[in-house]
Amino acid sequence: MEAEKISKISRRSLLKASTGALAIPGLAFPGTVQADVKEQLATLIDLSRCNGCVDLAKPSCVTVCKEINKNTIPAIADPIPVPWPRKTVEDWSRKREVSNRLTPYNFIYVHKADIVWKGKPQTIYVPRRCMHCDNPACATICPFSANHKQRNGAVVIDQDFCFGGAKCRTVCPWEIPQRQSGVGIYLHVLPALMGNGVMYKCDLCNQRLKEGKPPGCVEACPREAMIIGPRKEIYAVAEERIKAMDGYIYGKEENGGTATLYVSPVPFELINETMKKKPGQPDMKPGVERRMAGTDPAGKQALIAPVLGIAAGAAAGFNWLSRRKQKVQEEEKDNG
Amino acid sequence: MAEKILQEKGLVVRHGSVELIEHWGIALSGLVLLLSGLFELPMANRYYITSLPGFSWSGDYFISLQIHYIASIPFIALAFFHLVYHGIRGDRGLIPQKGDLHASIDVIKSFFGKGEEPPFQKYLPEQRLAYVGMAAIIAILILSGLIKTFKNVYAPDMPLAIVLTATWIHNIFFILFILAFLGHIGAIALKPNRPMVRGIFTGAVRLDYARRRHPLWLAEIKRKGRCQSKGEED
Repeated sequence: MEAEKISKISRRSLLKASTGALAIPGLAFPGTVQADVKEQLATLIDLSRCNGCVDLAKPSCVTVCKEINKNTIPAIADPIPVPWPRKTVEDWSRKREVSNRLTPYNFIYVHKADIVWKGKPQTIYVPRRCMHCDNPACATICPFSANHKQRNGAVVIDQDFCFGGAKCRTVCPWEIPQRQSGVGIYLHVLPALMGNGVMYKCDLCNQRLKEGKPPGCVEACPREAMIIGPRKEIYAVAEERIKAMDGYIYGKEENGGTATLYVSPVPFELINETMKKKPGQPDMKPGVERRMAGTDPAGKQALIAPVLGIAAGAAAGFNWLSRRKQKVQEEEKDNG
Repeated sequence: MAEKILQEKGLVVRHGSVELIEHWGIALSGLVLLLSGLFELPMANRYYITSLPGFSWSGDYFISLQIHYIASIPFIALAFFHLVYHGIRGDRGLIPQKGDLHASIDVIKSFFGKGEEPPFQKYLPEQRLAYVGMAAIIAILILSGLIKTFKNVYAPDMPLAIVLTATWIHNIFFILFILAFLGHIGAIALKPNRPMVRGIFTGAVRLDYARRRHPLWLAEIKRKGRCQSKGEED
């Protein structure tokens, strides 16, 4: 049953469905996307299946992602303007080959976790990229709305609008977006005083999704460790898999919920212990909170503030009318 | 609005407590919104504002967002209160009148010694124009801000066209709000306008100032029979 479902929702099935060769009700991912771009998608990363492509120079997901995005970043200004007063320049254009961390030229990498679980040493490989959160602070409080949560669930940075202030990286609990200085709209405004490049990260191959294709990493994975599909189905498959493997899930509750679910046969606490949070190398702390949730109550009160103002204004205004009427009546009475 | 002449105190009541609360509520929350809005831009850390004593919080976007939301509650509520309350009362003193633009130019010229000021009503013609300008800026900031807040809280995947429009309108009018605020401060810094500053703090201006500059207003008050020779309050 489990194997059948996995098979049905595998990337190959989805890919076939995109060409119309295979019709799976409810799971015909690319066709569904084309028919209704509002449908929310989710991806599942099964750590019991990922082997980090140890027989290859680089994991397949990393290789294909680099290939797809090799021309994403335009030519870098030479020299790159030095911002003022904090003179931070982040230039990865001469280190494009780096693949063991997130960079503006590398949107996914695979972390190797050597752990001992139930007395047995094990190696777990963890592909890391943007989680495409359900309510991503990186997108919602971007001051220029250059980063946006699409209806299909992908969180996409528009490099034509991004000023590279790195606010998105600061508010992301995993600090996923990475900056390339010397590129973008800021060069045409006040490069020394405002902005510092463009932020880059995985966009879930949003353009490929629009074309009815799965993300490159999903398509390239030789072990079908990654799948994508309608959110409800992916969440259901994730639950079934953790039941079957007596395993653990990550991404369902973290940062308020995400469109990326990891399932693992070992606890994420143990995996997280092997990850030292460094620039471009996020940790995987279970239960990480959505910090912006703390501002929601005040935001809700701001939304009802017009009603408060109207009610108070009406009460005060009608009270004034009533007092004026009373005064006029008294004056008329006095005048006989 | 408790406009009246207090002969013995040598004062004229210009604003009632409701108007003072409206003005200062909007002004102070507006200043907090302005500052917290600036800190929503990635500038506090870059410009070492976080290093200033008492400003270490300025680099935390969630704290400045929380402050922005909290300050927006009185700001929005008072703006709507103002609209409804004065709408019901039929207050029209700050609504621009025909010829205000031309009169404003004459008044500004008189500040530089060219020509004489005409006699004024309660508000100067440029005050009426500035009021409409500020009200429009505030209205658009509130509307775009509410859309952005709704997106943040309930609809992160709101259509991009709406989000982009609201964001850029909010940003542009934020700059206009700063300019309008500076213009407002600049106007009250002008010598002929300084006696009005007392009014916005205490509610009353000096009678001799009003006689000299706002005779039409005093005539209106007298016509309504609000002249107290003993100086007692209502």
